[in-house]
Amino acid sequence: MVLLIGCDNSSLVIDKLCDEAREGDIAVMCFYFDFAARNEQSPVNMLGSLLRQFVSGPGGIPEVVVQDFQKQRKGIGGRGLQVSGILKMFQAIAATKRTFICVDALDECVPEHRVVVLESLRQILQGSPNTRLFMTGRPQVRSEVEKTLDGAVAFRSIQTEDGVVRYLCDKLKNDTTPEAMSSALKAEIMKTIPEMNSETYVEPSAKDKLPWVGG
Amino acid sequence: MSQLFSHNYNSINIANSFNFSALDDEAKILAWLSPLEPWIRHRDIGAERVDGIGAWLLETREFRRWHDAPREDESNHATLFCDGNPGVGKSYIM
Repeated sequence: MVLLIGCDNSSLVIDKLCDEAREGDIAVMCFYFDFAARNEQSPVNMLGSLLRQFVSGPGGIPEVVVQDFQKQRKGIGGRGLQVSGILKMFQAIAATKRTFICVDALDECVPEHRVVVLESLRQILQGSPNTRLFMTGRPQVRSEVEKTLDGAVAFRSIQTEDGVVRYLCDKLKNDTTPEAMSSALKAEIMKTIPEMNSETYVEPSAKDKLPWVGG
Repeated sequence: MSQLFSHNYNSINIANSFNFSALDDEAKILAWLSPLEPWIRHRDIGAERVDGIGAWLLETREFRRWHDAPREDESNHATLFCDGNPGVGKSYIM
């Protein structure tokens, strides 16, 4: 069993996968792209982060990783870690294990890095038939994903209404005068507002006021 | 990163078998793999998330096929990409 560090937090897909990882030999890894951190989130650091999570399990660090670490220590200068080396280590240890990789906000990865990351993920999937990749991102990177992963991708669109529900839940939960609202009214709010035209909630003038915008 | 390791270079007994069980050695290897800590972002998002949001996704055909079906089945996709405009809560379904 390999568990992502911080697996106990509330999330959706990762939570579900982590629950399963507790009962079987499953590895779960995640990465969140952030445009503000684009300089640090190079392909080497991103892919290295996935590998780091993979080898952080209770079984100890696999020998192939230890050996590569020792080799780079013999070298002069530099970290000695490259994308090709990470992929090699990854495939040596992940080929048989059921593995889930979750990547958020692919669009926030700068284009020149994204090309390398997507190609690397493609190679990981190709070399590890038990690996699954879950990603989120804006629609404009969809064609890039489809092209690089050679059509082996299922797509699902996330609609605005879910964000509206989250916003309403937040507001109701933090209501300072909850006694002023009956449960029937709360239920009606939760039912009616999300059914209204979503454009009401995402027009530009309103975006700045809505806390879910940006997610 | 090279500076981090260079002054400890002589402390490693390379002639030994690859016994890196000591916690400090493991920490060095993990830091060598990547300085990034995505679990911090994961924790922050989890703290903001309202329970149940996006749960519908787990019931969709796309998710179930991605999650459940064996890879050997050619009709199944190894990758599931969820796209949405800014603000729809994509990070919260992770």
